[in-house]
Amino acid sequence: MSDMKPTLPISIVALLVVAFLQVPVLVVVLTSFSETSYLTIPPQGWTLKWFAEVLSDPVYLRAIWNSVILAVSSTLLSLVLGVAAAYALFRKAIPGSEAITALLMAPLIVPSVVIGVAMLQYVTLVGLRGSFLVLIVAHVVITVPYILRSALASLSGLDVSVEEAARVLGADGFTAFRLVTLPLIKPGLVAGALFAFVTSMENVPVTIFLASARQTTLPILIFSSVEMGVNPGVAAISTLLIIATVIVLLLAERWAGFHKFV
Amino acid sequence: MIGQRSAWLLIAPLLLVLLLSFVVPLVLLLPTSFQEYQPGQGMVAGSFTWENYLRIATDGYYREVVLRTLGLGLGVTVLCLLTGYPVAYLIVRGHPRWRLPLTLLVIFPLMLNLVVRSFGWIVLLTNRGVVNNLLLDLGLIERPLKLMFNMTGLLIGLTHIYLPFMVLMLVAALQNVPRDVEAAAATLGSSRTHVFWSVTLPLTAPGIIGGSILVFVLTISALVTPRMLGGPTYQVMATLIYDEYMQLLDWPSGSALSFALAASTLVIIWISSRMTRRWAGMA
Repeated sequence: MSDMKPTLPISIVALLVVAFLQVPVLVVVLTSFSETSYLTIPPQGWTLKWFAEVLSDPVYLRAIWNSVILAVSSTLLSLVLGVAAAYALFRKAIPGSEAITALLMAPLIVPSVVIGVAMLQYVTLVGLRGSFLVLIVAHVVITVPYILRSALASLSGLDVSVEEAARVLGADGFTAFRLVTLPLIKPGLVAGALFAFVTSMENVPVTIFLASARQTTLPILIFSSVEMGVNPGVAAISTLLIIATVIVLLLAERWAGFHKFV
Repeated sequence: MIGQRSAWLLIAPLLLVLLLSFVVPLVLLLPTSFQEYQPGQGMVAGSFTWENYLRIATDGYYREVVLRTLGLGLGVTVLCLLTGYPVAYLIVRGHPRWRLPLTLLVIFPLMLNLVVRSFGWIVLLTNRGVVNNLLLDLGLIERPLKLMFNMTGLLIGLTHIYLPFMVLMLVAALQNVPRDVEAAAATLGSSRTHVFWSVTLPLTAPGIIGGSILVFVLTISALVTPRMLGGPTYQVMATLIYDEYMQLLDWPSGSALSFALAASTLVIIWISSRMTRRWAGMA
């Protein structure tokens, strides 16, 4: 006895909670295919018209484009800056590296809405309001902690002597890093980059204060359009996002064994 | 090994970005929170007042919003703990074959866009939404329940949003519980329930505390879900900050509220890290 396996009631409660986690997703998907603008159970009639509507709407297309460009460029920039910083911190070549790490992780602790208003006032002050570069930099600030965390975690599990062996055999510092260290920390970086991408892709509290009307991203568009009530177009675009997320998750799981890094 | 010079070169670009676009903006926000605000005219240049901070504690409306925010944080934390523990337990102690699918099902909502998840709750909870229609059709209620623009909606929505974080923290804590301690207690004649309450649960305390702090801090700083499910009338601190900046244009008041919110989260995290450190020292 007493191998402390979950009892049947506990398992049932747990499965119900896991089901509860999926409910909003299912509801969104059903709404997007449903003929009526308000979802009924069971749905009455199936249609693809909401998808056609959304995908031919230039406002939505522009928002999708903005979101993707913003997320890709800020993730790449975070990746370069973050991995370089993590490498320096990991080698502990710098005095006060603990304080520096704390500073670099701070954007995770300060509420995003506070970062948003602080940046709004700042860019207004320096006259850069409405610049897309400002948006990219703001997204680097909020995404770089994820890269840093996964890079530091991967590096700490690394055997330093492997890279040193490469150096002894004549590789210069960058070559040794590129050919030896980088491949070893790649799975961790993939997970970190995925978190960074997702964070950028869904950010509202910082973006909404900085983006001009032309720079509106997809989450901002959804966020502001629901003030007018439930709109099946929003459900359709949400379903597309859900499908994209599933594909990315499956690829990440395949490529890097993603669940180990959460 | 890399020298100190090249280490600084590696870290300097990121440090510069953080200083110029995170530290400096926050520091510059501080003077704003001490300025007077004249409706219609904006900030009064050169003025200094404590009024923006005092108002948060003395004004009835502000106090209500602050208390509501903290109450919401507490409620969501308790709900996440109560619903998250069984899930974490099943993941760690259940059949190994269930482990990966269950973990992925917990992570999946976490990776989904936050606005999409909140939108899903609007579809469910609105007056003519799925839940109300279902209850009406079943004849359980006569007129729609008010599930949005109040505490009920925010509790449900935010618990759903932050539950995965709690589960992941608890999974990590449960994995660290040495099985032989439980086995020892059982051998010495403890019942299953007794082993759980006196061995397993106390040993997962670090995960419980860590998960609770995380969920509480995330909840009180949340903007998107409270706004989408609470609308412009049922305000919490983050949505009030948003409105003061975007609608009322009262930046001094908004920045004071921002510092109050940031300070609360920092204090909570600081206290909890001291607590866990002392705890670790005792063990």
